[in-house]
Parts: sequence; C-alpha cells; structure tokens
Amino acid sequence: MTTEQPIIETKEATIQFNDLIAVDGVNFTMKEGEAIGVIGPNGAGKTSFFNLLTGLFFPTGGKIFFSGKDITTVPPHKRVAMGIVRTFQLVSVFDSLPVVDNLILSTNRISPDHESRGAFFFGDAHRQNKVEQCMDALKLMGIENKAHLMTSELSYGDKRKLELAVALSLNPKILLLDEPFAGLSDMEIGEVSQIIREVKKKFSFVIIEHKISHIIDLVQRLCVMHEGKLIAEGPPAEVLCNAIVREVYWGKEEGLTCSV
Amino acid sequence: MDIFKTGAGRNLLDLAIIAAGFLVLLPVLGINRTTDFIIFCVFVLGFNLLYGFMGRLSFGHMLYLGTGAYAVTLFSEHVSQNPLLAIMAGIAAGALIGVIIGPIIVRTTGACFALINLAFDQVGYFLVLVAFSKYTGGEDGMSVYFSKMGVIDFGQKPIMFGFALLCLILTYYLLKKFTTSPYGILIKSIKENETRVKFLGYNTFIYKWITFIISTSVAAFAGALSILNYGYVTPSFIDPSRAVEVIFAALIGGSGSLYGAIIGGVIYMAISNYLASYISRWEMFLGIALLICVFRFRSGIWGFVAGKLKIREAA
Repeated sequence: MTTEQPIIETKEATIQFNDLIAVDGVNFTMKEGEAIGVIGPNGAGKTSFFNLLTGLFFPTGGKIFFSGKDITTVPPHKRVAMGIVRTFQLVSVFDSLPVVDNLILSTNRISPDHESRGAFFFGDAHRQNKVEQCMDALKLMGIENKAHLMTSELSYGDKRKLELAVALSLNPKILLLDEPFAGLSDMEIGEVSQIIREVKKKFSFVIIEHKISHIIDLVQRLCVMHEGKLIAEGPPAEVLCNAIVREVYWGKEEGLTCSV
Repeated sequence: MDIFKTGAGRNLLDLAIIAAGFLVLLPVLGINRTTDFIIFCVFVLGFNLLYGFMGRLSFGHMLYLGTGAYAVTLFSEHVSQNPLLAIMAGIAAGALIGVIIGPIIVRTTGACFALINLAFDQVGYFLVLVAFSKYTGGEDGMSVYFSKMGVIDFGQKPIMFGFALLCLILTYYLLKKFTTSPYGILIKSIKENETRVKFLGYNTFIYKWITFIISTSVAAFAGALSILNYGYVTPSFIDPSRAVEVIFAALIGGSGSLYGAIIGGVIYMAISNYLASYISRWEMFLGIALLICVFRFRSGIWGFVAGKLKIREAA
C-alpha cells in the first residue's frame, strides 16, 4: 500500500569522476510501496545513480535519505541491513560455489534476529534448517532442482534468477534491479517478469531497463535520465509522450507511440 | 560405513587419514624429518587460509612464522621455560601482530597486498638482525631451553613427533570447522567478488582482518613448534627470501583445500630435503614442478586428484 512517507530521497545528488559528471544534481523521491522504472540512453548515469543509492560510491555533492535518515556516507553493508538491496547489471553470483551456497550468506546474515556469531564461525553452513531456507528461496525462482550444481554450470538466465533469489532472501524494503532482463531470452524475460510481479507488492522497487516495453506494466512511475540529469518523471504514458524524452531517448526516429 | 557420512564421522576420518599418512612416512623419512614435515604443513595450512580460501597472496608470511619463533624464545628466556606456556605466548604474539598490522594490510589487494606483507617482513628481519640484536642474538641466533613437564620431555624425538602431529590435527580440525561454516563461505566469496559480499550486508573489512589474524596465529604456531623441535632460533626463521617456500607448497598441493595444503607441504619438503642431497641447484626442479602445476594442474595435485575421483571437499 502506497503511503506518503518517502522511503528514499536524494537532494541534488551528484557524483563526479575527474571531468565527468556521472550524476548531476538529481532530486529523486520515492514513496513506500512505489514501483519506479529508470530509463535513459547508454551513459545516462542510471547505474551510477544506483551506485549512489546503494553506497558503492559516495556522492561528491548532495544528500541521500532513507526513511528520513541521512545515509549519504553510510557504507553498503549497513544500507543492506536497513533494507536497501540491489542486483547488478552484469549478473553477479559466485561461480565457484555450489548454487545453494550463494544463498547461505544472505540467509545467515548476522543481525540480532539472525544466527549467533559462534555458529557463524564454527557451525556447519549446510545444516538442515539453513539449507531448507535456501531451498525455499530457490523454489520461488523455480530452480530448486539445480541447488547442488556448481553455479558456473547454470545458464545465464538461471544465474539471473539466482541473483534475484539472493536479493529477495535479504528481506529488502527497497529493491533496486539493474537491467534484470539483460541477456535473457523472451521466455526467460517472461518468467522473471512474472516473479517480479508476484513479489513487488511486498516492497518498494526501482528497476533500470532499456527495454521499456518490459517494465511498462511493472512500474507506476518512470524517471528518465540523460547526461546525469533527471530530465522527466511521471506516469509512463505521460513521460513517453514528453517531447524532450522522445528526442533524447529515441532521437529523431519514432520509438514507442504515445498511446502506450 | 554410515558413521563416516555424518559431519563428525567425516572429520574423524579426515583426522585418521592425516595421522595414518604421517605414521606411514615415519619409517621412510625418519622421525626428525617427519616432525619437520608436519610443522611445515601447519605453516602451509595457515598461509593457505589467507591465500587459497580468501585469495590474498602474502609474500611476507615468514614474518609471522618468525614472530612465533622469537616470541617463544624470548618467553622462555625471560618469563617461563614451560613449553606449553611458551607456545601459547608464540600464538598470542602471532595474533597480536595480525591485530596491529592487519588493518593496514587487509585494505589492500593483489600485488599491493603481497608486497606490503613483504615490506613488513623486511622490517621484522632488520629488527631481529640489527636493531634488537642484543635481545635476539642477531645473526647467530639463540639457543632455547624448555623445562620438562613431568614425564613429558619435548627433547625426546618421539614425544616431539607425537605432539607435532597432534598440533597438525588440531589445526586441521579448527580450520575445517572455520572453512565449512558460513564464515568459510564468506571468505571464499570475498576471494571471488568482495564488492558483491558487501552488498549481501557484510562488513568485509572485519572478516578479512579476522582471517588475517587466524592466518598469522597459525603461522606463529608453526614457528613456535619449530623452536620447540630445534631448540634454537636464527634469523632464517624470519628471512623474507624464504617466503617462496610456503607459496610453492600451497600451489603444488592445491590452494583452497586443506588436504591440498598438507600434500603440498609434504611434497615441497620432500623435494627440498631429498633433491638437495643429489643436485646442488635443486631449486630449478622446484621451478619446473611449479610450471607444470601452473600449466597442467591449475588446482594443484590434490585438486587434480580430487577432480578425477569426483571428490568435492567440504572445505
């Protein structure tokens, strides 16, 4: 259920690498329970913006707030503990581990509600109840029958699903998906879309995607980035009809029609 | 047998295999050399936790071995000649140096990590050889005396052998517990992609530091055992040029595996002890062995054998 409380907010968020301003004074607000799509041409600063939200880089200017708390310089692991969870543009799982082991860390994450430190260092990682938790996460993705394969043996699509399973098992309050459909076949895109559709009511999420048609019915709001700036935001149909958006995103050629 | 399919049963089987292996080597190598081999294997296990499991290659691990060796010596000289207390002092010194220099070292990766360890080892070598030579005996080193503990006299070779084997088994067991726990998965994940681990909610700095401390402590333990075995210490225990020994052993045996570390330790010691008797420049053959491993057996001898036999080591 959407409420008025902003779960995440940036004020003039900026990151500059030498002469390149990757994110340029972005003001972004997201309400709890909202689903937002971030689009823009290559090099627009979408992933850099994700990196600022999740703490991979700290902004060179501006502020970031999570549920009203200033998290501008909070490191990534603490942001995860707060509930800010992400996936990566290039699928990021641990190829050298068995599939099920990819989920051990997320399901065993140390916090007052989780496992004791003694068990973390000395307990068997594959205790029955722990493996069951991992299997539940894999079942949600439909890859539980591959749990004991080496991750390197999985197809790219299954790795995407595994990455999503890891992200979901971290109990996110806000999930940031960086091009979750990249490199997937149409069938796999359909499967992953369906999974996102099923879980999206549980938390807020932001999704970067080039294929706008794949996210248009997943999100309530679209944000368009260009050259590090947020140039437009609003309901998808409205944003896609914006003349500036159409010019920077599709150039002079026609992309999607305004009726979308 | 079903008992060996349980976690405890498999651990027991592992420990029995290691003990049996060295007991088989005993009549072949003789008690002195077998004890040497065992102690070196403890050192390789400590090094391998850092390199094989967490992917951080140290060129300065002799510093931590030497810290244990000199700590035992100085403890025995100035505090107590009780051998067990002295060994504990050696381990504590190894942990302490890990606590102190760890925060500087674990911030680095790759070549920088390897070389910063080497730099600290160079400093340690200088301190032992020159700056603190009044206390360390400088180039000549020092003899060490330990008291008897009732009927237990570590000067008697069978007792020393048994004790060293017990220490190796204990080290193996502890490292096995570590590496099969969620912490073990964490450090293996750091080896593959540290950034990703941060985004699973873990402060990787702390875990890298802890791993470094465990590794320096185990190396110091090996150093302490060496002194208990030899009864003297020299700067060769901290000599940076000897760092290559433990690296070769880990690579030949198979880094990232506890069995691999032990097999590598035994093979390295066998080459360096026996080949040296016949060929003056035996190091060339060590180089060739390493080249074969790099090009043919990327996961080391144990990794190759385990792959052929389809053994997936839990560690």
